[in-house]
Amino acid sequence: MIRLQNIEKVYRTDTIETLALNSVSLDVAKGEFLSIMGPSGCGKSTLLNIMGLLDVPSKGSIKIADKATENLNDKQLAQFRNKTLGFIFQSYHLINDLQVLDNVELPLLYRDTTAKERKMLATEALEKVGLANRVKHFPTQLSGGQRQRVAIARAIVGRPDIILADEPTGNLDSAMGNEIMDILINLNRNEGTTIVMVTHDENMAHKTHRLVRLFDGSQVQ
Amino acid sequence: MFKHLFKLIWNKKKQNFLLMTEMLVSFLVLFAVFTLMFYYYDNYKKPMGIKYQDVWVININNSYQTKNTDSLNLYYETLRQTIKALPQVKELSFVSGNTPFSQQINNGGLTFKGKHINGVNNFTTEDGYKDALQVDVLEGRWFNKQDATTKYRSVVIDADLKEATFGNGQAVGKFIGDYDDKNKLRVVGVIQTIKRNGDYVKPGPGIYYRADTGSFRWLSKILVRVSPGADAAFEGKLYKTMANYMKSSNIEIEHLTNKLKDTNYFAVIPMIVLSIVSCFLIINVALGLFGVLWYNINKRRGEIGLRRAIGATGNSVSSQLVTESMILATLSLIIGSFFAIQFPLLNVFDLAAHVYITGMLLAIIFVYLLVLVCSLYPGRQAAAIYPAVALHEE
Repeated sequence: MIRLQNIEKVYRTDTIETLALNSVSLDVAKGEFLSIMGPSGCGKSTLLNIMGLLDVPSKGSIKIADKATENLNDKQLAQFRNKTLGFIFQSYHLINDLQVLDNVELPLLYRDTTAKERKMLATEALEKVGLANRVKHFPTQLSGGQRQRVAIARAIVGRPDIILADEPTGNLDSAMGNEIMDILINLNRNEGTTIVMVTHDENMAHKTHRLVRLFDGSQVQ
Repeated sequence: MFKHLFKLIWNKKKQNFLLMTEMLVSFLVLFAVFTLMFYYYDNYKKPMGIKYQDVWVININNSYQTKNTDSLNLYYETLRQTIKALPQVKELSFVSGNTPFSQQINNGGLTFKGKHINGVNNFTTEDGYKDALQVDVLEGRWFNKQDATTKYRSVVIDADLKEATFGNGQAVGKFIGDYDDKNKLRVVGVIQTIKRNGDYVKPGPGIYYRADTGSFRWLSKILVRVSPGADAAFEGKLYKTMANYMKSSNIEIEHLTNKLKDTNYFAVIPMIVLSIVSCFLIINVALGLFGVLWYNINKRRGEIGLRRAIGATGNSVSSQLVTESMILATLSLIIGSFFAIQFPLLNVFDLAAHVYITGMLLAIIFVYLLVLVCSLYPGRQAAAIYPAVALHEE
């Protein structure tokens, strides 16, 4: 589903050059739930951003769903992200000025869908994460766990093949974290969604199919 | 997408309130400036109604005091012949003080078929007035000697008064004003309205009376049309001739061309002041708008990053921010237009409705352009935000 070959990422400033990823190659199979672990600054999020086509590698190639992504222009990349990828972030990235339903509908706004379809799909996604009764709430009226569930609903509303989660339980207590993890496991199990998750939590990582460890930008496991 | 953006703006109405107020105030000031400018332009493009070049105004005070009307007439007729005898004088007319481009006014009301018309300017002139000023006669004729012997007093009206009284119908030969039989006024001609207040200010309706034998007691000005080559030497000669004849009178000669310049100058001063004030305001608004949008983008980097991640292109992020500004401008303009439209509806300042409407449309276009220009660059900056960086910052 995802094939990364010899990915290298170098951040350059006027004075320093930092190697964030060093020749990382990784295959993620369809329907796999993969977790990435490693100490802070080891390149986990950079790798996830590159997988999510939010960042470009300095070297190497990425193939997602059998499609080479190097030569896609801004519009094609945006469409590809919209249809194939779903994102979940540690800090949720919800728009506080929009109600829960509107937040969940967001990815569909960049597709050719009617308002009715958007509402239906968003309600369905919210039902899956158990928040159908919170559609009119604003994010600031929700707990951290509920916010993350809204973010998951937003990630799955467009029915993407792949979900990329960057420390989805990082800001939550263990009970809430487990709830979120259960939702992700169910998505993977029931819908066959491929999930790549960056985490610091060993327990969470052990619940996934495979664990990849990074250290100083290199893959060590 | 519009509904989504509208919802976003509505939910942030408190934050957007000041920006909208700024846009509203700009619109109202621009509405005033454009209305005034268009009013001036609208008047400017209308015909002058006369040919004022080579026309001089001689101000006299009536030094010749006599109760005998015949002696008075003889005195002034001799003066007329003396001036006319000068080779460079083409035509002249004794007139009341309210000559074109002078500050003097003589106006009153006129009731016609029960309808009262305010601000009708009254002019007393002679038969030579038409040729002295080369007045455009639209219907009928100017005064002539026959008018001294008609049963009803002859008057000439201008196009504005004709429109206010007879509309598109015929005016010549009809009576004007609700007067008794003895004082009835019969229209003998309609002339092009003379822009007596200069190029930019609406003159208002006017009615012209023929001077009679007793008028010399108070007619204080003489309009003289001179040959195009008449120079300062001739002006000196004219002055000397008159000074010799009217020994105890103060004589002053002015040129209509110069008087028009002065009149126009005084008319444009308020517009210049208002334009300068509005320029400062526009610069202020532009900088404010630019700053607010820039600030918004920095504050919304996370949201912009998110939108890019979930499928927005750089261009769609940029156009979203521009559209948001345009929606805010539209809301301000709707409120502003509500106030602006009251001016033609309530006939404030007595300007024609099309002047207000044009001022309003120009102000709307200007505000939209201003908002567009001010939001384009911040919009482009937003499009250039790298999603991975923006999401990481949050």
